[in-house]
Amino acid sequence: MARGIVLPDNGRLFEIRFESVGGLGAHAAGQIVASAAVLRMGLNGSHFSSYGSEKKGSVVRSFVRLAAADRAIRTSAPIELPDVVVVFHSGLLAHPATIAGIRAAGTLIYAGNDGEVPEGLCRLPATTKVMRVDAQTIAIEEKSRPNAVLIGTLTAALPFLDRQAMLNTLEDTFAGRHPEAVAANERAFRRGAEEFEIIENIGRIEGDLPRLSSNPLWGYRTAPIGGVLPTPGNTAHNDLHTSRNGWMPVLDADKCIHCGMCDMVCPDLCLVWSTHTDDDGKPTVTLDGIDYQYCKGCMRCVETCSTLAMTREAETPGKANRLRVPLFPELMQATGGKHVT
Amino acid sequence: MLPEAKAATTHGEPVRQIHDFRSGNEAAALAARDIGFHIMGYFPITPSTEVAENLSAMQANGEHDIVMIPADGEHGAAGICYGAALGGGRVLNATSSQGLLYSLEQLPVQAGTRVPMVLNVSTRTVSGPLDIRCDHSDIYFVLNTGWIILMARDPQAVYDMNFAAVKIGEHPDVRLPVIVAYDGFLTSHQKRRIDRFDDPDAVREFLGEREDPYSALDPERPVTFGPYMNDPDLINNKVQQHEAMEAARRVIPEILAELKSFSGRDYASVDAYGMDDAEVAVVLLNSAAEDAKVVVDRMRNEGHKVGVVSPNVLRPFPADEIRALLKNVRAAVVGDRGDSYGAQGGNLSLEVRAALQQDPDNETLILSRIYGLGGKDFYDTDAEEFFREALDAARKGRVDTPFDYHGTYAGDPSRSPPEGLPAIKPEEVTRGMARVTKHPETNRLEVELKPLWEMTTVPSRIAPGHGACPGCGVFPMLRQAYSVLEGNVVVLFQTGCAMVTTTGYPKTAHRITYIHNLFQNGAATLSGLVEMYHERIRRGEIPAAPEGQDTTFIMVTGDGGMDIGIGAALGTAHRNHKMIILEYDNQGYMNTGSQLSYSTPIAHRTSTSEVGSTVSGKSFHHKDTAQIFAACNLPYVFTASEGYPEDFMRKMSKAQWYAQREGTVYGKVLSFCPLNWRTQDDAAQDVLQAAVDCCFFPIYEVEKGHTTITYDPDAIGRRRKVADWLGKMGKTKHILAPEHADLLAATEAEVNTRWQRLKIKHEHPEL
Repeated sequence: MARGIVLPDNGRLFEIRFESVGGLGAHAAGQIVASAAVLRMGLNGSHFSSYGSEKKGSVVRSFVRLAAADRAIRTSAPIELPDVVVVFHSGLLAHPATIAGIRAAGTLIYAGNDGEVPEGLCRLPATTKVMRVDAQTIAIEEKSRPNAVLIGTLTAALPFLDRQAMLNTLEDTFAGRHPEAVAANERAFRRGAEEFEIIENIGRIEGDLPRLSSNPLWGYRTAPIGGVLPTPGNTAHNDLHTSRNGWMPVLDADKCIHCGMCDMVCPDLCLVWSTHTDDDGKPTVTLDGIDYQYCKGCMRCVETCSTLAMTREAETPGKANRLRVPLFPELMQATGGKHVT
Repeated sequence: MLPEAKAATTHGEPVRQIHDFRSGNEAAALAARDIGFHIMGYFPITPSTEVAENLSAMQANGEHDIVMIPADGEHGAAGICYGAALGGGRVLNATSSQGLLYSLEQLPVQAGTRVPMVLNVSTRTVSGPLDIRCDHSDIYFVLNTGWIILMARDPQAVYDMNFAAVKIGEHPDVRLPVIVAYDGFLTSHQKRRIDRFDDPDAVREFLGEREDPYSALDPERPVTFGPYMNDPDLINNKVQQHEAMEAARRVIPEILAELKSFSGRDYASVDAYGMDDAEVAVVLLNSAAEDAKVVVDRMRNEGHKVGVVSPNVLRPFPADEIRALLKNVRAAVVGDRGDSYGAQGGNLSLEVRAALQQDPDNETLILSRIYGLGGKDFYDTDAEEFFREALDAARKGRVDTPFDYHGTYAGDPSRSPPEGLPAIKPEEVTRGMARVTKHPETNRLEVELKPLWEMTTVPSRIAPGHGACPGCGVFPMLRQAYSVLEGNVVVLFQTGCAMVTTTGYPKTAHRITYIHNLFQNGAATLSGLVEMYHERIRRGEIPAAPEGQDTTFIMVTGDGGMDIGIGAALGTAHRNHKMIILEYDNQGYMNTGSQLSYSTPIAHRTSTSEVGSTVSGKSFHHKDTAQIFAACNLPYVFTASEGYPEDFMRKMSKAQWYAQREGTVYGKVLSFCPLNWRTQDDAAQDVLQAAVDCCFFPIYEVEKGHTTITYDPDAIGRRRKVADWLGKMGKTKHILAPEHADLLAATEAEVNTRWQRLKIKHEHPEL
């Protein structure tokens, strides 16, 4: 047990933050890493995630703290100054919060397609090591999950993590309920540990990034009393595209008969219709397309479409932006032409 | 590799233990397993639900034989526990926040009649507005109930304090129920290294047998529990209760000392860190105190004599210990994660002040601070600010600000959340998408629907951008309902997925007036609003609407809300207020992570009805809520599926007609939940259709007492086997395994019985 594992700085805790959206397995990833460290590597550790009610597709952060065996871990607070940030969805790199507080000597690992280098990476410290792994593709190819791939990459990035301990913990985690996943996860892990790309010369910032300090939009002098929201429907400003998981529905206007069935089953209320008068002077409607700002990619529209006008297609960078039909064009103007990224 | 075990027990050595890595909720569940409680009565509420979930998973694999009773609500859970404890065995419950408050009136009953049990409280702020995260406002409500309250600052303490709780509460001089309180999420959901006992015989010996002076299950010694007791007797009963609490003051250190010998872990009534020579201190409960200890280490390196005081016992309040610890402290910040509004301090602060006041020589300056409400994180920087404030007061010899909130934000007038969408005008949504007429002979309503494509021109009363899961069935249901409802609509959503995902502050998806209330009381709340509407019209304070154009009031609830809230809903139904109760039935408490509801069908897997070697899913049949409401003789009751929009929309338009003219309508809508049904996100149509075609979910209406099946799979040759439906969901696949043939048969039999009865009602002119 006591293998004399030495953390990079025994004078403080080693801190890893996983940035993800619900459903990609960030919580499980953190748990596997911390469990392996505590139960198989003789380290002390803690793990928790910040999430509210369990909703697939919403932002999830998972936190792992590691310490030498004899060092107490007392704090329960979220990790503000991480040594490592693991990003499960490259879209999250658009938000400064994703990389806030990362240490200059730290490591950033992100899931991204081959050649995908999100703009947000330039806000990293110049000395932070940046690693990209195509977790989604590897996971699909191996019938595993992106988290297994990313744990592999993380283990490769941190030499003090014991690879076999990680693999054994990964196996233990799935052997009970998903025995079929064990071999697939191991393959995904191994590929994650090997098939990463180190992105050089990307960060532009000197020194550690500051911890995130953000205030809510309203405070006690400005918020309406009692928690009242006098802003009907202002979730229309939300951008939910990160809830999609590599796939998007696409409308083929030529095949669409504008029957309205998809509108009855779309949970995200993101189909865009226009009303006009047909040649006979009767009012009629046209399905113009999909507002991908809101579409979470459930494919209920595809499943319900009787003419195959809606199809499920792989989402490549920029595609949603190109095909998007805004549901509230007036909001786009009001927010300075906010686009889906 | 097996976890390392400590040396086996010998005299003076702690019991054999196993290293583990567990959260507070897991630790509570493991302790429950190791204690071997007889009965757990519970009701899911975040963040304590995992205790029951973990026990359910362990039970499914035969790891314990605690009888797990899923209550109809926390009030019911408290009753189950009270009754069970009267029978003399060991009893457990776990709850949080509103759940604790909903059971509040039962707690003094149990303490006053001197019936021990253990209640784990994963602390969470109380509504409203609803917030699921940690503070201590819930536990502060319990201070006056007569329960012993132990605090557990980390998962190890949660585990250990459960053992202490059993022994303290059952002590013959005490005989009181005991709460073990730990911080929601911060401790309940944070995994830490713990040691747990690995010697069941030693644990049994340590705990001893529960011995009750009186039992409700002893026919040879019949006794009356809970007599009718007025003056002059009750005050004397309360003296006994007071003396029991005073006895606990003596017994608790004794048992904590026994626990130390047994476990090797030392707990004092008050945890003190750096207090031997501290000149300045902070006093905090649970996890925040641990964060503050990190700062103590740092500040001591800078030469500041600082320390942390943190009670492990809140009732009885350890006033002597706190007085002694603060004796030479010049200034202390007492932080409360919960305000006693108007008292200029939270409860801890007030009690610390009261304790010090008893010492005429004490000169400690006290600063009361409210912090961390609603789960606001407490960082080392916050603890440091507390120490700096105390140091400042000590240096000046006075307190400039005796009471304040810490970590708040006044706001910036130039910033605000994005504006809402324009209000929807009644004429935009009064478009005749469903024309309702009363048949002159049958007196039943008939509906003519416009084609679906035309519905797309009706502006949605709910905006996109909500946070529901991909594929969620609630929003198709709302979309369909709103397509045919005309005029003004006011909705009340009970706590549940639809509420949480549409109103994350400071945004709302609702474009019409929306109210939330907790799910035990939504129907009653909306009843009140409906009557205010009509009364203010009668008084001429708001304009009357023409016939059939009154505002439509709709209470939207999940099926879980029709467990805990069915009392209030039946009250509404019996009073026949003009409103609609619309239930999205996704067969479980999906908002809290898929616990069983009474609408969960038998044998289905949920997080509180797990499937394993000894237990196979839920143990009893689904509630027939539609028939319960039909028995209230409402003008209109219906069932529908969000996968069959035309049928549902016809029924919603009838519902509006009846709610505007005659009284209460109840509708139950089968609603897809891919996450917890364990299907693909796009499997809705297939699964919903199978549920309807196998007659598990019959589609019908009861109009003025007359039952009509509106979709009869038998009649159109679409009847399928129940197994066809069960095979489509991950949560039910196990039912099709050969070893569960009895469960499949039980499901088929129940489905068939209900279907046949319904058909008879459909065919009979009087039913």
